[in-house]
Amino acid sequence: MIETTVGARPPRLTLRRRRQVAGALFALPAVALVAGLIAVPIGQAIYYSFTQWNGLTSTWIGPSTWTQAFHNPNLWTALENNAWLLLAVPFALGLPLLIAMLLHQRVVGWRIFRSIYFLPTAISWVVLGLVAERFFAYQGTLNSLLHFIGLAHVNTNMLGYESTALSALGITFVFTMIGTNTMLFLTGLATLDTSLEEAARIDGAGRWRIFRHITLPHLSRFIQLAFVMTVIALFSALFSLIFVMTGGGPGYATTTMEFLIYQTGFAQGDFGTAALYGLILFVLTAIVGIVQLRLIGSDE
Amino acid sequence: MSLDTPPVAADTPVDRRTRARRVGRGALFLVMVGVAVVMLYPFWVMIVDSLKSENQFLSGHGFSWASWRTLTSTIPIAQEVVSSTIICAVSILLILLVGLPAGFAFAKLKFRASGVIFLAIVSAMMVPLQAILMPEFVNITRLGLTGGYTGAVLVYAALGTPFSVFLFATYFRGVPDELIEAGIVDGLGYVGALWRLVVPVAIPAIATVTVLQFIQIWDDLLVGLLFIQNTSERPITVGLAVLAAGRTTSIPALMAGSLVSALPAMIVYLIFQRYLVKGLTMGIDR
Repeated sequence: MIETTVGARPPRLTLRRRRQVAGALFALPAVALVAGLIAVPIGQAIYYSFTQWNGLTSTWIGPSTWTQAFHNPNLWTALENNAWLLLAVPFALGLPLLIAMLLHQRVVGWRIFRSIYFLPTAISWVVLGLVAERFFAYQGTLNSLLHFIGLAHVNTNMLGYESTALSALGITFVFTMIGTNTMLFLTGLATLDTSLEEAARIDGAGRWRIFRHITLPHLSRFIQLAFVMTVIALFSALFSLIFVMTGGGPGYATTTMEFLIYQTGFAQGDFGTAALYGLILFVLTAIVGIVQLRLIGSDE
Repeated sequence: MSLDTPPVAADTPVDRRTRARRVGRGALFLVMVGVAVVMLYPFWVMIVDSLKSENQFLSGHGFSWASWRTLTSTIPIAQEVVSSTIICAVSILLILLVGLPAGFAFAKLKFRASGVIFLAIVSAMMVPLQAILMPEFVNITRLGLTGGYTGAVLVYAALGTPFSVFLFATYFRGVPDELIEAGIVDGLGYVGALWRLVVPVAIPAIATVTVLQFIQIWDDLLVGLLFIQNTSERPITVGLAVLAAGRTTSIPALMAGSLVSALPAMIVYLIFQRYLVKGLTMGIDR
């Protein structure tokens, strides 16, 4: 940093020192807010995960709470559900990539199509969950469609059965992610140098080769970002969908980690175990988060 | 794309390749219409189902304004929209008030350990509320902040601050040092420099934060559900979700309510689309 001296009378504090003080004071409110409402609770969660805690009184139990938690089949069901839902991620990335490529062809009215495709992004997942419930319901759109294509005897009720409810949730999740991810990929495609593609085409490269060797590598950062955002949403944004669509059921069929935390804490009043589950979720997202930070960091 | 220009006159014999391209374009257009139908499906469901009375919905025949006419008595919609608006406005204001000076400080007024602190704040972006839900809930309840909007506003502000600080800091790095130095030497002071010199050039970044946070907070369920105790102060998404989970409210009424709740976010979204895109790709696309 370059020191600047002002005129003849030297200020009591040097300019550099004053700038540092001002900086610290300017940052203080944000630091306090994040420390008080995010950092401190992480510390508290660690403490409370070793206690029996109902929100009012807590008794220290020690590490046995952790062994107990890991013997709870509900935790494993929730983790398993989260793992199964990861299968939705390739679709939540692949479909938007395809849609972005279509939009990038700039056919007549592509701007209008773009706005339409992104529109569901603005809607609450509570509302999208309500709509999805209508779609999968016994008298819903899915069955009407099946009847329309001639499968008159097929009557699905995906949300009603343990075997299919998670798939219905996964499909809804893919739908809710399409807008955001398409937006990301389209932005990526817009920064692509078209002359490269032209040159490859003149050299006789086929569509697939151009996509594979020029478009895809160019999009890699955008795909990485979309991947991280999608996985984090999968771990921490399904709450609204689950709350209105299934309430975690039937049984525990659609109870993911985040919903298990809510249920354990607020339906069963077992705050200590819920705090512990929270830490597990924290670790899971932290792993993904580190990848994200490296993505952002490598650019600076 | 020069390759795709249509043939000069309609009468000239079109060669095979152009015809193939035209067919391809037509097929592409149809696929895009198909995708549009899928993406518009939620709106279609909301509109069609809301235009039925409960009986018409159950029987599957007929349309009426019944659900819209009785909407305000089925769902306290006006009051919920007011709650949502207040919560959004105050939270966003708070996020901007703490985020702007912090972003300015981390970009231009570096102090001891500011780099590490910045990194810590940015990392907080990755902490999902569910991970700290229990301690957060107990803290806010103990402080007696679940009575009004205060608890929810504080939680939203804390969750939104890391991203806004990151975005503002990134943005302010592009402001020349000389501009700020000159302002301070001219006697503006640091607050004056921030307010008069930095904020005016940061309008696009402010718009990005505002739009992203508006949609986020307006659409959220969890915070409103747990951190607002009085049902009379519930935001609209919470009202809808609770009624839906209760399974006693008629679907047409819920759909009408959903449409009302979706409208503000959709309008904001359509007007400020480009700021949203900018915010999403911040950090990798510059």
